[in-house]
Amino acid sequence: MPGRIIKWIDQRFPLTSFVKHELTDYPTPRNLSYWWNFGFLAGVVLMLQVVTGIFLAMHYRADISLSFDSIQHIMREVNYGWLLRYMHATGASAFFFVIFVHMARTLYYGSYRAPRELLWWTGQGLLLLLMATAFMGYLLPWGQMSYWGATVITNLFQATPFFGDQIVIWLRGDYTVGDATLTRFFALHYLFPFIIIGAVVIHLVALHTVKSSNPSGIDLAAKDNIPFHPYFTIKDLYGLGWFLIVYSVFVFFLPDSLIEPANNIPANPMQTPNHIVPEWYFLPFYAILRSVPNLVGGVVAMGLSVMMFAFMPFLDRSRIPGGAHYRPIFKIQFYLFLLDMLVLGYVGYTPPTNQTLLIGQIATLCYFGSFLLIPFISRIEERWLVRRGLPPAVIALMESEALTIEQRRLKHRRRGEQA
Amino acid sequence: MNALVKVLVLCCFSIGAWANEVPLEKVNVATDAVTISRGAEDLMNDCHSCHTLKYIRYRDLVAFGIDKQKVDAWRGDQAMDSPLLGQFSDADAMQSFGIVPPDLSLMVKARDGGSSYVYSYLLAYHNSPDGVLENPVYPATKMPDALGIASATDAAQRTEIQGRARDIVSFLTWAADPHDAERKRLGYYVLGYLIVLTTLLYFVKNQIWGRLK
Repeated sequence: MPGRIIKWIDQRFPLTSFVKHELTDYPTPRNLSYWWNFGFLAGVVLMLQVVTGIFLAMHYRADISLSFDSIQHIMREVNYGWLLRYMHATGASAFFFVIFVHMARTLYYGSYRAPRELLWWTGQGLLLLLMATAFMGYLLPWGQMSYWGATVITNLFQATPFFGDQIVIWLRGDYTVGDATLTRFFALHYLFPFIIIGAVVIHLVALHTVKSSNPSGIDLAAKDNIPFHPYFTIKDLYGLGWFLIVYSVFVFFLPDSLIEPANNIPANPMQTPNHIVPEWYFLPFYAILRSVPNLVGGVVAMGLSVMMFAFMPFLDRSRIPGGAHYRPIFKIQFYLFLLDMLVLGYVGYTPPTNQTLLIGQIATLCYFGSFLLIPFISRIEERWLVRRGLPPAVIALMESEALTIEQRRLKHRRRGEQA
Repeated sequence: MNALVKVLVLCCFSIGAWANEVPLEKVNVATDAVTISRGAEDLMNDCHSCHTLKYIRYRDLVAFGIDKQKVDAWRGDQAMDSPLLGQFSDADAMQSFGIVPPDLSLMVKARDGGSSYVYSYLLAYHNSPDGVLENPVYPATKMPDALGIASATDAAQRTEIQGRARDIVSFLTWAADPHDAERKRLGYYVLGYLIVLTTLLYFVKNQIWGRLK
């Protein structure tokens, strides 16, 4: 009977072939390490956020006179409302943590390189959507930090040439952050996750076209690929177990460690907090914003700092395949970059003094330097490595890649002659 | 990539090391019903005349286990479901102190340092050499020395006041998050379940991967 039902479906919808193509026959490199679990984890966190968010929305009031109280209503009176709210608030941090690790893995192993540029860029789009969603969600509790964070960030749009002030008013729906801002942020905060789901589908289509990269950085022979199901479904589920353990420690035992105390004070437009800090996941970018003395320059620098990742396929032109695996200098660069992110995070967290301002400016230069110097450093590194000798598999891959490039060029030239 | 993990762990530790401006006296708040009931009583006597606790209802106090007769005495003719609003109108408060005293329901969560902040604040009152009442934890405060720590001279009296402060802070900690105990209790079950589940998944994973040559 089940066989007949599936046959009936298959005549009308490609169910079996879809499962076969995307799961049971989908080739996945067998050498993937646990760093490759984080994409799956990001998907799980997205689902957690959507589900807890929908239930929170049933009890939340988007109205400046009610929203702060409605959060307390959820925390105190709704059945397991505290669990929903803490899961959602912790989930935001978990989402960024998982995404940052996912991105760090891509950078380390050079997974953004050809042919995976579009996969990387769709991921970049997802990062921007995630940041926008998190930023708008942070306004909803209507605490002091919510209000002043939204005020500071919407103010940045004043840097827009010609229409700066109008854009700020258009975004807020009012001259200051107020009821109009809250309701539209709520509407968009509810909408964006579904756009993210759509973008994730695109991200997965791109992934299933080019397939996963792997730690060796070399395309594997067919014998080294194994089907995604059951091998990686179980590996992902095992990783999910670990993730949920860490997540639960935060949700049940340290839920307030990720909530700024000032956000437990209702928003007060008449009183600026002593120092306005964004959530931890925005700190490095916030530090870059503050490091540039001029508003327009700061906004441009902050925007660029997020977008720099998208340029990686152009910046990293080394012929050595993969990422840091065969490239010792790239590896050092990668760790220095992480260190620089931590320094920027610290600078973003502390109230500005002359000293932290200077550290922030140096760290900002290092941040952009670590992207913009990649073409030059990788050229030198490549020459040095070739002279020193590379493993035969890598040389074979480099030669075959050089060959395809040459062929493409020849084809192009021939087409040009015909025309 | 393993170095990344180490760096992140170090980063997590360093967060706790960031210094506060005024060193706070650490307090271990109590979670038992007796201390919290005592704290509620002290709060009703020492704080409630000016401060509200608008997210706590009289019914919540009884549900927590505070003696119903005491709660009935506190609420007077107010309904069981009415919140703990102050006996002081905002206008009167403005006239007396120049400020509306803040609601205390979330006070413990709303300050860096949490319960230790409130505890240190309550006990930080002292008279300067010129006889002016000062509070180094929050110098701009408009609140009088509610517990009378500045005028307490002998050690026994100071200990008594410290105990009272701890009771009040314990109550406020409960009031800021009444589900705290329930959350932690549930947390142990959830963690226990997840550890068993993850261990089982580990064995299943090894079994499945064992099929590969």
